[in-house]
Amino acid sequence: MASCWWRWRRGCAWRPAARSPGPGAPGGAGTPGPRAAARAGAQMSCFNLMKSLKSAFPTMYHISRFHHTTSAVCCRSKAQSGEKYTDPFKLGLRDLKGLYKDIRKELFISTTELKEMSEYYFDGKGKAFRPVIVVLMARACNIHHDNSRDVQASQRAVALITEMIHTASLVHDDVIDDASSRRGKHTVNKIWGEKKAVLAGDLILSAASVALARIGNAAVISILTQVIEDLVRGEFLQLGSKENENERFAHYLEKTFKKTASLIANSCKAVSVLGCPDPTVHEIAYQYGKNVGIAFQLIDDVLDFTSCSDQMGKPTSADLKLGLATGPVLFACQQFPEMNAMIMRRFNLPGDVDRARQYVLQSDGVQQTTYLAQRYCHEAVKAISKLRPSPERDALIQLSEMVLTRDK
Amino acid sequence: MNLRQQLWRVRRCLGAAAPPRRLSWPPARAPLSVGSRRAQSSGSPTHWNQVVSEAEKIVGYPTSFMSLRCLLSDELSNIAMQVRKLVGTRHPLLTTARGLVHDSRNNLQLRGLVVLLISKAAGPSQVNASCQNYDMVSGIYSCQRSLAEITELIHTALLVHRGIVNLSELQSSDGPLKDMQFGNKIAILSGDFLLANACNGLALLQNTKVVELLASALMDLVQGVYHENSSAKENHITDDIGISAWKEKTFLSHGALLAKSCQAAMELAKHGAEVQEMAFQYGKHMAMSHKINSDLQPFVKEKTSDSVAFSLNSAPVVLHQEFLGRDLWIKQIGEAQEKGKLDYMKLRETIKAGKGVTSAIDLCRYHGNKALAALESFPPSEARSALENIVFAVTRFS
Repeated sequence: MASCWWRWRRGCAWRPAARSPGPGAPGGAGTPGPRAAARAGAQMSCFNLMKSLKSAFPTMYHISRFHHTTSAVCCRSKAQSGEKYTDPFKLGLRDLKGLYKDIRKELFISTTELKEMSEYYFDGKGKAFRPVIVVLMARACNIHHDNSRDVQASQRAVALITEMIHTASLVHDDVIDDASSRRGKHTVNKIWGEKKAVLAGDLILSAASVALARIGNAAVISILTQVIEDLVRGEFLQLGSKENENERFAHYLEKTFKKTASLIANSCKAVSVLGCPDPTVHEIAYQYGKNVGIAFQLIDDVLDFTSCSDQMGKPTSADLKLGLATGPVLFACQQFPEMNAMIMRRFNLPGDVDRARQYVLQSDGVQQTTYLAQRYCHEAVKAISKLRPSPERDALIQLSEMVLTRDK
Repeated sequence: MNLRQQLWRVRRCLGAAAPPRRLSWPPARAPLSVGSRRAQSSGSPTHWNQVVSEAEKIVGYPTSFMSLRCLLSDELSNIAMQVRKLVGTRHPLLTTARGLVHDSRNNLQLRGLVVLLISKAAGPSQVNASCQNYDMVSGIYSCQRSLAEITELIHTALLVHRGIVNLSELQSSDGPLKDMQFGNKIAILSGDFLLANACNGLALLQNTKVVELLASALMDLVQGVYHENSSAKENHITDDIGISAWKEKTFLSHGALLAKSCQAAMELAKHGAEVQEMAFQYGKHMAMSHKINSDLQPFVKEKTSDSVAFSLNSAPVVLHQEFLGRDLWIKQIGEAQEKGKLDYMKLRETIKAGKGVTSAIDLCRYHGNKALAALESFPPSEARSALENIVFAVTRFS
């Protein structure tokens, strides 16, 4: 399977806002931890939660950095209904034949170079993680609603739009971060320059908006418009860092929600709205997408420390180099308070990046973040299990396990 | 009367809280054309600021259509703080930002204004006007006011994104690489932020046809800006395009947003396809005529500071090239160059001696007349006269 379909982007966010309800860290505040006086709030509760969860699920905690087998066992017990697909992707991709061709049709414009730039990432080499989730969710909801065995054209269109919004944000993010490679190839900005790359991103976004409008459903437009807003706000959150240690973790999770999970959550919600009138189903779809999305990004942040750049198709330790303190760093900082200063100065002194990396690998930051991701996956499975059993529902459950066990 | 004077009159007219007049369609009136009637002159530009603030009071609505919600947001104040770091560099974002803040008094915001005027000129539709008058202020529905704001947001977002610099082409005089990089970052984010706000506003309108119109306008605009950016060449050799290709590209970069916004304003008031088409035509031709007018300024102004550069892709130059033929034109550019530097004064005189300027004026009037013709299907009203006066203002050269 091709390299980097997994890679969304580092940092993403999440906040229990009006339209995006949900847990920062699943669970409530606990007892004071090791560095009690200094910490409180979200970070603390999250940290303590880890401790308490560790005692509650001792087996789950013993996951190695690279093989998350036990978690998979845990999740699989939830999958009950008949037919088992070894690869949930295969099931999803059945409805996505010609996905990239159709996307390129949406980008039909006369300007050759601009067209070429916009199509650059729709080369069929991505694994289409988001579209797969979206069509699986569509089928799961349709079956839940009236046992319908079809995917509506509008639901498939949402899958396209999701991938387009995602790609548009990638193009802009790469300019913002001055990134030079993605998915094992040069970024748009490196090839064509920043000036044109920004316009390519805008073009993809506008084409996505046209496609969205053509679905002709005002509710769906509102739901997916929320994503665009979240993506921008997430990027703003990434720009600033919280001086207050206690707010850092909440800030990190909020960013994770906004930059990664919101797209998945709201796309899932959109297809559920198209497939089924029941608001409880919409909430199930949203919760699944949100929790899988956050888990996805947490693992992404872990892989930035544990994977090598060949696997990822882009350089690793990228977050540190950008001055971003992700989950593993924040957890490591609990064990090595001397990292605080580095976080504050955004790892901008010579040697900071390497030192921070060493600290993280010495700490249990990676395990803790992985564990947190498991918790989110668990929430996702809990949500989706409320739907009527179907191969697609079970594929979604399986997919959430794959999010945890991926190594690239 | 100049455009600016026209505009403040128009603003006042929008504020006049008269109830929407029901007028007979179609209006019985002789066709207007540019030149057949002189715009009445009124007001003095020296009182511009005072008049605008008065007008704002009457309208009960800020002249700046960028919503306060947007301007007061954490994100934008964050940006304002960050932009300060760029002072001293030559990042284009500074100029754009300065234009937005400093000029907010005088900022024409022409597109939003035209959307409001045409909304008022069309009035409520006859079909089901009875049930939707409740949110009408000064003869304009609140959704049409939102649309005007969205139009400005989209325009501004692209203005900001237009000012990204290529990091690999920086000169040492531009400023440190790090700062320019930072400038790009802020420019992308603020442009995206404005776009996200526009999308949000569109979604709230709950009209999928309007969303589609504006989204496709954005797509046109992006392509137009792309053309504009890529036609700015270092070596002063222009693209070999004829006037019809020029018109197509100019429609994308300058006309599509206004044309489609005007159409969308009609759709919001449930006007039929014909009225929508006329609104589209007015927006399109007015925008074209406006663009050609500004292209002509370096050639028609009495005292132009001679060294001022002008775009080699402007209407008079493209027409000049078309009359002359490609080879002669390249030769003329060569003659006007000295040590790789273009002598704009010399080139301007060369162009003025040809037929490019007069035929650009003709083209400007042609579009002006098309715009006026489109307006004839609207009932006579204060707002319609204002729209006409805008056309008179942009088609007057003397």
